[in-house]
Amino acid sequence: MKINHYLIGFAISSLFRRDAKSFFIIFIFTSLIFLLSSILFISNSIKEELFITLDSLPQITVQKLQAGRHANIEISRVDKLLKLNGVQSAIPRVWGYYYFENAGVNFSIVGIDSFDKQYKKNFEELVENIDFDELEKNDSMIVGEGVKEILSQNYYKDFFNFVKADGELKKIKISSVFKSSTVLESNDIILMPKNLVLDIFGMSKLKVTDIVLEVANPQEIPTISQKIKNLFPDTRVITNSDLRVSYQNIFDYKSGMFLALFVVSAFTFFMIIYDKASGLSSEEKREIGVLKALGWKIDDIIKIKFYEAFIVSFISFLLGIIVALFFVYILQAPLLRDIFMGYSRLKPAFELPFILDLQTIFLLFFLTIPIYIAAIIIPSWRVAIMNADEVMR
Amino acid sequence: MFLTPEIIAIYTLNIIFLFFSIFAFIISINIVMHWNVNRTDERQYGLEKKSILVATIIKFIFILKLPLFIFFVFTANKISGVITGAMCAAGVVNSISFGLWLFVFKILNLFIFGFWIALHNMDTKDEQLSLTKLKFSIFIVAFMLLVIEIIYEISFFSSLNIDKIVSCCGTLFSVASSSSFSFIFNIPSSIAIGFFYLIFSLLVVFSFLKNEPLFLVINIIFFITALISLILFFGTYIYELPTHHCPYCFLQQEYYYVGYLLYITLFIGTFSGISGSILSMLNRKNRKDFYKKSLLFNSIYVAIVTAYPIVYYIKNGVWL
Repeated sequence: MKINHYLIGFAISSLFRRDAKSFFIIFIFTSLIFLLSSILFISNSIKEELFITLDSLPQITVQKLQAGRHANIEISRVDKLLKLNGVQSAIPRVWGYYYFENAGVNFSIVGIDSFDKQYKKNFEELVENIDFDELEKNDSMIVGEGVKEILSQNYYKDFFNFVKADGELKKIKISSVFKSSTVLESNDIILMPKNLVLDIFGMSKLKVTDIVLEVANPQEIPTISQKIKNLFPDTRVITNSDLRVSYQNIFDYKSGMFLALFVVSAFTFFMIIYDKASGLSSEEKREIGVLKALGWKIDDIIKIKFYEAFIVSFISFLLGIIVALFFVYILQAPLLRDIFMGYSRLKPAFELPFILDLQTIFLLFFLTIPIYIAAIIIPSWRVAIMNADEVMR
Repeated sequence: MFLTPEIIAIYTLNIIFLFFSIFAFIISINIVMHWNVNRTDERQYGLEKKSILVATIIKFIFILKLPLFIFFVFTANKISGVITGAMCAAGVVNSISFGLWLFVFKILNLFIFGFWIALHNMDTKDEQLSLTKLKFSIFIVAFMLLVIEIIYEISFFSSLNIDKIVSCCGTLFSVASSSSFSFIFNIPSSIAIGFFYLIFSLLVVFSFLKNEPLFLVINIIFFITALISLILFFGTYIYELPTHHCPYCFLQQEYYYVGYLLYITLFIGTFSGISGSILSMLNRKNRKDFYKKSLLFNSIYVAIVTAYPIVYYIKNGVWL
């Protein structure tokens, strides 16, 4: 197949001759592509941000299940887990959600002991800089930036009254605010000594929320998690890769849902184009009549129509992607990103990292341009087979 | 079953293909039954016009199917991250019993649709349109194959199970496996390599002899031996790992996507050889430049795969 550049030139000038119509189609098509590509870009970026966070999460988390629900796990199990070959460390964690009714938000309270090994790097730095024994003596805590803001809106400037499980109040001072590199994970966090957390939640001193393990050789993770299951049949063992898979699934599912809706609008668009391409003005009909009288073949006229369609869809494709890139990465996708963020009053404000891979571009291409071109096949063939004498009459 | 954006895109395109090819199929049956160039009535004119529509539809499908095939492999590679045990497309494809057949049909359909377009181009140059009936009969067969492929593809994606543990390519492509590939490993690799270069040298000789039937047969044999020797021998040098035989892994980033280059050159080389030979047998006036094209691309393929072991030997001083 040879491409005839005179035909392309003719196609371009015929698009210009019908500028209002071409502009209208390009406009609609661009907005469709823009919407679709924004959604895919946002979903890719958030997924990437989560995968970065994932690397800092523990390799194995062991939870106890009772009657199918998460229950606190005995602290004595830590020693048994440490005896498994390949386990480098086992850290008992005490944490939970505290619902603050006035603001309608959940805080994540995390218990920290200075002599424990920390399972997160940014916690480790904190432990080095802050004396947790001192915090315990003074009944004080460290809060994330988002928490600090909510508290001061409710006039808790330097302390907060926690309502304990038995209804008593526990007054805890705010000692400092901590910042972290990934806002997504630290915005709603409150750090305080373990004993205080146990006190607030009314938990037994012999139990912890869950246990996280560190494994020296990542390839041993599946084997070790199997061993833990055999050792404690009442536990749920969550590995790093389990989380990765479920993140991937959630985001594929979310963008899949959106896409399923998009397909409907794409078919509507298909109908519009089909209709537009079929209804020719008498002037256009005369033009084709003249071309045929000049000796153009049916194939040539179909070719012209294809070139026109390709030019229109390609321009819209480029425009749509450029506008979407601008919207998502420079304007940070107002409105649309809420679809993926879920809703929470303590929603962290974070930047969408810039991700643009070939596969997404491919995907966008397959979802848009073929639909447009498919819509014009039959109408342009109908146009092309008209007899010269009929249309010029 | 799970719906990723990629799978929805593939479904959508399949539905478009199905819609248009059913249209083309009905017209083709009409043409095969009633075509007669010598008649000058309304029906014959109508059929001639409709034949152009069918040709346009087939070109549309073929031009999309080429990149879509690459996209399919890409998607399978991506899904392998989600399915337990799978490390590349091989695990995903083999997690379903007919996965391999889906691949076979995809490649077969690419060959047939490509050939159809070459046939069509030759037919439109002929004033008598003598090949029209033949080409539409071929399309009726191609339509059946396309429908089978689409049914396979839709049931493939809908029966993918995330929770099932599948075999990774390392076990699928090994001597010990009982998969559909294991028969290959009964061939000693020295014989496979010798055979591969023998076939290639015959291909060179035949391209100078310009004998179509021989060239056709040798291209088909070359395609098969190239795949077998790639799995048996050349693949291990791409991975620099004597036990890894997977024909999918080198499509991934770690190997600089070299697999796409290999498969595309091999496809163009053998396709132009096969279709060119058939067309020349049908019509003596057909241009003979396909010999050069086929030889060129097959040689590029051979050069790339040969380079891997040689570079490995120069670097390390030993063979795997």
